[in-house]
Amino acid sequence: MLKIIIPTIMLMPLTWLSKKNMIWINTTTYSLLISLISLSLLNQPSNNSLNFSLMFFSDPLSAPLLVLTTWLLPLMLMASQHHLSKEPLIRKKLYITMLTMLQTFLIMTFTATELISFYILFEATLVPTLIIITRWGNQTERLNAGLYFLFYTLMGSLPLLVALISIQNLTGSLNFLLIQYWNQALPDSWSNIFLWLACMMAFMVKMPLYGLHLWLPKAHVEAPIAGSMVMAAILLKLGGYGMLRITTMLNPQTSFMAYPFLMLSLWGMIMTSSICLRQTDLKSLIAYSSVSHMALVIVAVLIQTPWSYMGATALMIAHGLTSSMLFCLANSNYERTHSRTMILARGLQTLLPLMAAWWLLASLTNLALPPSINLIGELFVVMSSFSWSNITIILMGANITITALYSLYMLITTQRGKYTHHINSIKPSFTRENALMALHMTPLLLLSLNPKIILGFTY
Amino acid sequence: MNPLIFTTILMTVLLGTMIVMMSSHWLMIWIGFEMNLLAIIPILMKKYNPRTMEASTKYFLTQATASMLLMMAIIINLMHSGQWTIMKVFNPTASIIMTSALAMKLGLTPFHFWVPEVTQGISLTSGLILLTWQKLAPMSILYQISPSINLNILLTMAVLSILVGGWGGLNQTQLRKIMAYSSIAHMGWMTAVLAYNPTLTMLNMLIYIMMTLTMFMLFIHSSSTTTLSLSHTWNKTPLTTTLILITLLSMGGLPPLSGFMPKWMIIQELTKNSSIILPTLMAIMALLNLYFYMRLTYSTSLTMFPSTNNMKMKWQFETKRITLLPPLIVMSSLLLPLTPMLSILD
Repeated sequence: MLKIIIPTIMLMPLTWLSKKNMIWINTTTYSLLISLISLSLLNQPSNNSLNFSLMFFSDPLSAPLLVLTTWLLPLMLMASQHHLSKEPLIRKKLYITMLTMLQTFLIMTFTATELISFYILFEATLVPTLIIITRWGNQTERLNAGLYFLFYTLMGSLPLLVALISIQNLTGSLNFLLIQYWNQALPDSWSNIFLWLACMMAFMVKMPLYGLHLWLPKAHVEAPIAGSMVMAAILLKLGGYGMLRITTMLNPQTSFMAYPFLMLSLWGMIMTSSICLRQTDLKSLIAYSSVSHMALVIVAVLIQTPWSYMGATALMIAHGLTSSMLFCLANSNYERTHSRTMILARGLQTLLPLMAAWWLLASLTNLALPPSINLIGELFVVMSSFSWSNITIILMGANITITALYSLYMLITTQRGKYTHHINSIKPSFTRENALMALHMTPLLLLSLNPKIILGFTY
Repeated sequence: MNPLIFTTILMTVLLGTMIVMMSSHWLMIWIGFEMNLLAIIPILMKKYNPRTMEASTKYFLTQATASMLLMMAIIINLMHSGQWTIMKVFNPTASIIMTSALAMKLGLTPFHFWVPEVTQGISLTSGLILLTWQKLAPMSILYQISPSINLNILLTMAVLSILVGGWGGLNQTQLRKIMAYSSIAHMGWMTAVLAYNPTLTMLNMLIYIMMTLTMFMLFIHSSSTTTLSLSHTWNKTPLTTTLILITLLSMGGLPPLSGFMPKWMIIQELTKNSSIILPTLMAIMALLNLYFYMRLTYSTSLTMFPSTNNMKMKWQFETKRITLLPPLIVMSSLLLPLTPMLSILD
């Protein structure tokens, strides 16, 4: 695992020592190379995990997330080039350092064995993200956004720390490799109910669960493009990953404790999808769509069946790539019109046809068109929730319909129709932007050929 | 002040604390405290103006009261045990009175009212000495009598201190008052774990002193005592803004910085002793502290505070001497991976 972590850490000296015209080239190239190294982790030979040491391991759940994380860093660097082009050199280097620091913490989080180490790195990802949102965001609302982001997550995760330490007291070790073999049923008592709540609330806030999702639209909208990309693609998945890991220790309370959260998620996904239909702000629409997709993941994780775990994992990877791509597309609009309002940049198909092709592909994957992996994820979740309770099919079906509605609404508003008179002088698409979209889309399409690598550990 | 006299007075302060920390006779401890108090008054009054006089007077009155209460507790202890050696306190009444006296010296709730006002009235360097060095002596006595302290009182004071330290700092823009409320909250964390594992109290004290030293050095370097003047540091030394950011986040207890280490260890110790609600409450109340640190970082490093055009071209005539700042900064932010080394503190 050090073969990934040390090169990522060394990206920081690379940034600071590069010449002015080479910083983007150096960092993007080397981060692409690092993502190639991480692809070797996808080869999971047995049902057991690949254990690299006592501190790091990778199993079929964390390997795809790790590959996604390392794949995303070069994409983030490519996407940030334009809005940082006018900044002084030191600030560019600081930005790249923040991204690299975040990347290091994320890699270590996904591969940590010891749960307290996972917790510390989980919290550590907050600091660079906060700095990226607050320092490099564009509107005054970013201050509020940073505070909401930090404090919602911290309020949820401090009880998790106490819960993890009390579990360590109970079981003697929090090393995940040990616990998966040593699992005992949690006795039924009031304090164990609070233990369940303490363990899960951190990840519920991070996912986010519908009632606790207020930080997400703020943070996603106010962040610069790299911040939005990494938040949508990876940081939300930290919550899903944490939930998938910690629910193994929390039986049998999950069977009855999960009900309120299931209800909130099922209702929340409909509500947030419906809100998307009424959004004027493009980034806000994509942010609420993230909440809706993650609500599906929460439902899947709480049902705890093999198919639902497969669906959750596939949905996390698919949503990561799709959401990040949508944010890049929205950013390409923002860089041209300096506004996030959808109708100010409409009818773009006439002006930028290749970008319209990417918009089409992104919207189609967002609404889970077969045979993309988004469909596989959603389908597995819908089927497993149907087997859990027949009535959920109504809500799931309604959600799929509304998702299709708002994705097509976004597509049609930005691409079709007559363009406005004020945008006929926008710059044509850069090769960098087309490359960015292609790099997002290619893994998504290729994975639909062999989805079993992202189906997680219950395959 | 005449350098010779200043050195003598400073040495007396140091000597007083050393006497407190190293004595085994209760009377010597009282003498040490009095020596410390009398010698620090001229240091607090380095600048001679009514504000400083008021602050020094308040400090003297509270600390003298505390010393007298300490003397009373010592005498009651003498009555019940017949000897002057410091081990534990033999009588519950004496224990309560001594704990209250030491709480007054430290600035724990409900005896915290003097800390913001005194810290605000004195210069930055004196405030530095007040908030770091002066805490060593009372804490060492608390460490030594920790087996016999009444747990209820201790925990009540600790939790209330964390609450008051967090809540009280919310409305402040003066940096010295912010540091004072931060000191109250950190003292609360330290005393909470005193009954369970006093080693962690010492660890928390060590890391708290490092972080407070760093913060004060950074404030002295940019000669700023209000949030507004701190917000101009981006113009004078841009690197200082990053350092302020890192140190403030460390004080707030965010992983992966070293300020997280004492909080984590204290929560671990408390949880091992089967109190679960208490550390959860303490951790959540520490978030109040984090809020006003975040506000400081917002105005200093993460945004450009509105300022007049004059402020953007500030002259700096001489660089202030900052002792030991780089090692302090490294230690107050990067110590978390060294947590297994805690075993040396035993």
